[in-house]
Amino acid sequence: MLRSLSLKHSPLLTRVYFKGRTLSTQPTSSSSFGCLPTTQSPVVSKLAFFNSVTGDGSKIPTYRVLDGLGIPIEGAEVPEISEQFARRLYENMQLLPTLDNILNNVQRQGKISFYMTSYGEEAAVVGSAAALADDDEVLAQYREVGVLLWRGFTLDCVMAQCFGNHEDTSGKGRQMPVHFGSKQHHFHTISSPLATQIPQAAGVGFALKRDPERRSKNVACVFFGEGAASEGDFHAGMLLASTLPSPTLFLARNNGFAISTPSSQQFYGDALSARGPGYGIDTVRVDGNDVLAVMAAVKEGRRRCLEGGRAVMVEIMTYRVGHHSTSDDSFAYRGRQEVENRKKIDNPITRFRLFMESRGWWNETEEEELKSRLKQNVLTAFKRAETLKKADLKELFTDVYAEEPWNIREQREELAGLLKKYGQVWEPWRNELKNFKDEGKKLLD
Amino acid sequence: MLAGRLRSTLPTLSRRWQTTASTTVEPPPASGHSSSVAASKLLRITRESALRTPGITWQDEESDRNIVGGRETRKMNLYQAVRDALSIALAKDDTAVIFGEDIAFGGVFRCTMGLAEEFGRERVFNTPLTEQGIAGFGIGLASMGHTAIAEIQFADYIFPAFDQLVNEAAKFRYRSGGSFSIGGLTVRTPTMAVGHGGLYHSQSPEGYFMGASGLKIVIPRSPIQCKGLLLSAIRDPDPVIFMEPKILYRSAVEQVPIDDYALPLSRAETLIPGSDLTLLTWGTPVYHCEAALQLLNNPPPSLIPLIPASLRNAKVELIDLRTILPWDVETVVESVRRTKRLVIVHEAGMTGGVGGEIAAEIGKRAFLRLEAPVRRITGWDVPAALQFEKFNMPDSIRILDGIMETLSY
Repeated sequence: MLRSLSLKHSPLLTRVYFKGRTLSTQPTSSSSFGCLPTTQSPVVSKLAFFNSVTGDGSKIPTYRVLDGLGIPIEGAEVPEISEQFARRLYENMQLLPTLDNILNNVQRQGKISFYMTSYGEEAAVVGSAAALADDDEVLAQYREVGVLLWRGFTLDCVMAQCFGNHEDTSGKGRQMPVHFGSKQHHFHTISSPLATQIPQAAGVGFALKRDPERRSKNVACVFFGEGAASEGDFHAGMLLASTLPSPTLFLARNNGFAISTPSSQQFYGDALSARGPGYGIDTVRVDGNDVLAVMAAVKEGRRRCLEGGRAVMVEIMTYRVGHHSTSDDSFAYRGRQEVENRKKIDNPITRFRLFMESRGWWNETEEEELKSRLKQNVLTAFKRAETLKKADLKELFTDVYAEEPWNIREQREELAGLLKKYGQVWEPWRNELKNFKDEGKKLLD
Repeated sequence: MLAGRLRSTLPTLSRRWQTTASTTVEPPPASGHSSSVAASKLLRITRESALRTPGITWQDEESDRNIVGGRETRKMNLYQAVRDALSIALAKDDTAVIFGEDIAFGGVFRCTMGLAEEFGRERVFNTPLTEQGIAGFGIGLASMGHTAIAEIQFADYIFPAFDQLVNEAAKFRYRSGGSFSIGGLTVRTPTMAVGHGGLYHSQSPEGYFMGASGLKIVIPRSPIQCKGLLLSAIRDPDPVIFMEPKILYRSAVEQVPIDDYALPLSRAETLIPGSDLTLLTWGTPVYHCEAALQLLNNPPPSLIPLIPASLRNAKVELIDLRTILPWDVETVVESVRRTKRLVIVHEAGMTGGVGGEIAAEIGKRAFLRLEAPVRRITGWDVPAALQFEKFNMPDSIRILDGIMETLSY
């Protein structure tokens, strides 16, 4: 009782109390309490938790240019593109499902060991590729072959990698299918471990900034899915590219699923866009089924990246229409009808085709011609790749180090000795040796 | 953290060796000095002996300086030798950058003292506290042909970067068919026990990388070795993890050539020739091995009853392995074939340690020559318990005992 009395009459407390009241109604006068030493955050007297980037609890909006019928939505600025460029976009988008249909079937026939389609993400990937400079360094996850095709990576190169034949320029047949790479096309070789490419991209961005030839000219562009963004490497990469800083463009393909895991089990917040500001990164969310919106967002993201020399993130909202991979049956965890509906209601290729038709840039005849031409091209490349032998067997042992150390040399020689002994009598080896260009004979070179 | 931050206010001097020349204001370590190091005859304390370091190759551009007579040396401890090597790497290669946690102010072990001031914050900079990020960032830089010198503050904290190092760095060249490579990447990290480091400031994780073909693992024993091997590691066409024995940062002092020179990777060095037993080690235990040999040849009175007179004149060959992966099998096999006995010493635990790998290979290559089982003297298969360190580390008495057991097998 005594204590409370004395408090009540303390002139100091009265003053603080008064100022606190004043503050709560006038947040702009925050300077009266100053800031903490480690932040510029104003001190306030009102206890208030928050859990929304937008402040009013609403979700981060999604940028869109064309609606599902290919008609510009109200207030949207349609990027200026020529008919020729639009045709190139469309052809590249159509090439993906053509390639996917054939390679997916080929995997089903056991001719290649594995495949991953791009179904539903054609606009996300082709739109991004079109917004980048062809010599921007791309670090991909695995569902971005569209970038390579846009840059002129040939169907023969795609097939060679998937078949692992001796023409495979991505990796001499060492990696699983769809692990493409091409130094010439500024596309870093894909690896299976998820998100490892994200902090690497920050390093690539930093190198670009340090190179007088490429400074203010190129960005490092890193693709990843929303599942991969749960890895620690995502955190590291965002942090590094914003803090160090480096021109690194983060392109997140949020397609709703990481294999069987829906994004509702991947994160609780407002997806990936909500995280960008936490790292101090300019961020935008875009409708990934709208190729013009993707292109505009990535182009502006790239411009900011170069201008600020700092990371920028674009979250591209799509839907993974296909199975995760040929080793996955997605109907085990989602309804067949749900997928069918998606394909019908919101198809990125159809949407852009309707836009082109509305401009008089496309018609049914051209559609038929394109489809049959693309199919023919893919089949020709496929048939060619199928007949080619694998690389020399000796390539099993090269490229581990710049120079072969003793242990690898001895092991190579040991295999050569074993082949000499069993190569023609042990059937599994005898059959397999015929598939290699050197049939194992160059192991001792 | 062990070094403290007292020196961070030292004035920065422009000539690289001047910034690292003085050791006079060192605070005393908290039991962090190894007494056997101070007395070591393996350290080259004269200019003449330093310049005649076996395997040294001068990397100067001027060919006329290839004469030993015209070269200088300077007294350096191990951290100063690291700093000297880094300074040369930065001065000669515009693409070289150094980064890691707390390195801009000089590093918690002072290995990067003054480098940020001398070469600029764009080339010597702090990263956020993320080991997987540091390794990934370095891989990205190196994939663009740049020289990336990353620091992991303690080898104990390299594990968050294990995925980047083993799945990415080691396989980068191979998986791309040779079209991409990251030879410019070097990851430096302080390693081994320091007297009071406990579980997470004492580890020797080199064995975990033994299966990561594509990586090189290098561990120096002294300032001259450190500078030459580090410069080789930085310029090597493959990614290298360079582990610096942290107890030697201040306790190992030598005359170090001030010029740019290299020492070869994947080459062991025979420090003391012998014919009765091969003693193989790397890093800090080199000095415990040296001390053990002194005890054997010239035992103090307390040990005389325990050391049979017949063993006192044994000629033990001491080899510093230096590169752990790929290791120099030739030198070790040649030695063991002559001596017929092998003792391997390392600080890491025995099971899964590098010693097991070497023992297996020697067992295969020198089976008929061996007159005793290959003996491993290592840390026990327990974590590095703080108050128990003296009984956990392979010290000179344990090494002496192992040598005697093997000699008298």
